[in-house]
Amino acid sequence: MPAEPANRALRVGIGGPVGSGKSSLIAALCRELSEELRVGVVTNDIYTTEDAQFLRATGVLPAERIAAVQTGCCPHTAIRDDITINLEAVEQLERDEGPLDLVLVESGGDNLTAVFSPALADVQIFVIDVAGGDDIPRKGGPGIARADLLVINKTDLAPYVGSDVERMRSDAAQRRGERPVLALSLTSAPRAAPVAAWIEAQLGAFAASGGHLHSSVSGAPDHHHGHAHPH
Amino acid sequence: MSAVAMLLADSRFPAGGYAHSLGLEQAVSDGLRLEDVPGFIDARLRLVARADASLSVAARRAAAAGGDPHLALEELDGEHAARTPSPVLRDIARRLGAQLLRSAATAWPSPLIDGYRAASATTPRPIALGVVGAAAGLDDRAVATVALYDDAATVASAALKLLGLDPADSARWVAELAPEIDAAARAIGADERPVGEQEPPAAVGLELAASVHAQRTERLFAG
Repeated sequence: MPAEPANRALRVGIGGPVGSGKSSLIAALCRELSEELRVGVVTNDIYTTEDAQFLRATGVLPAERIAAVQTGCCPHTAIRDDITINLEAVEQLERDEGPLDLVLVESGGDNLTAVFSPALADVQIFVIDVAGGDDIPRKGGPGIARADLLVINKTDLAPYVGSDVERMRSDAAQRRGERPVLALSLTSAPRAAPVAAWIEAQLGAFAASGGHLHSSVSGAPDHHHGHAHPH
Repeated sequence: MSAVAMLLADSRFPAGGYAHSLGLEQAVSDGLRLEDVPGFIDARLRLVARADASLSVAARRAAAAGGDPHLALEELDGEHAARTPSPVLRDIARRLGAQLLRSAATAWPSPLIDGYRAASATTPRPIALGVVGAAAGLDDRAVATVALYDDAATVASAALKLLGLDPADSARWVAELAPEIDAAARAIGADERPVGEQEPPAAVGLELAASVHAQRTERLFAG
């Protein structure tokens, strides 16, 4: 029996450290997806409204489909511990601009432990970059290990910053088991087609399940990774 | 003090307060110094926080009175709007009220909270807090204590992010104001007059500063 259709948009959380390319990834996804889909974005700016302004300036979405919220110096709180401000913003966007197919929620940029509550994001993408150091996947943390998709950005810079992309991939795979990892450069792939394809697959699963996706962040951490590590 | 009241007053209760400075961010931009913050908190307690706490108590009474409280609560929504000339502050109160009700509807499942969420177009936080207090079984004094304490603690916590200081010092500010908070909560809890007959607040500076703050492109806090 087919599931009842979900009566809201798929909510995708985009997290990761400051400067890893979250806003650029969102702009790329909007370029790739907004012809076919009705997309909205909620940004969690730290101090300025720069992220929201950046997206509006790119012209990839109508300005009214981009909402910004302030998080009082607590970007991780706003996506995990007290998500009410973001839930209100997402629902307001859907009321004002809906029906939408997809809402991207951009975290304000934080440390490696920050993940979205499954009550806010149906699925989530964690974005890191080669310039932040190629030991980041090895260091792990909930974002690296458990996000539904890990994106390693700025691969074009790897030779200049002395980072080994293949090592980052294999360290990430050890942490993540079967969960996908995409390494790319938004400079050479400004529409982020592989990430967009992943989101389209999530949209299909979201529709088929009647809006009940199971994020890999939900519940207790499992131990997909196949290496021994100290606890 | 009951555990339920502590839960409601705890900043870990997900009701969105962490994103607000209750006017402190703009006041600091306008020249307020570290040593002035306790006075700022005290002024809020005597003016807007007290008025909000009175509205919360009135809402708790209306919600707990039995029957259909929605007309009475709608009137209180209007009383809040009448006491809040700034559209910016009315909007902030509505958002914080919606955030509180969202989490409270899960924490204390009750037709009272669901009914108010469905019926009220504005859900200003003081009225929402009274409704949640009724659903959670708090009395008037406890609701007033939570309202006043939350106001003081929110400003004190925002100060840590706006002005470098020892976090223990900001705790001391609230500790020193605790007797005043308790006395005010007792008085508000014992005041049987309808809110329409009580003294309205007059914090014009806060009302005006809120509009300036809302226009800023660089800020840490939502209000």
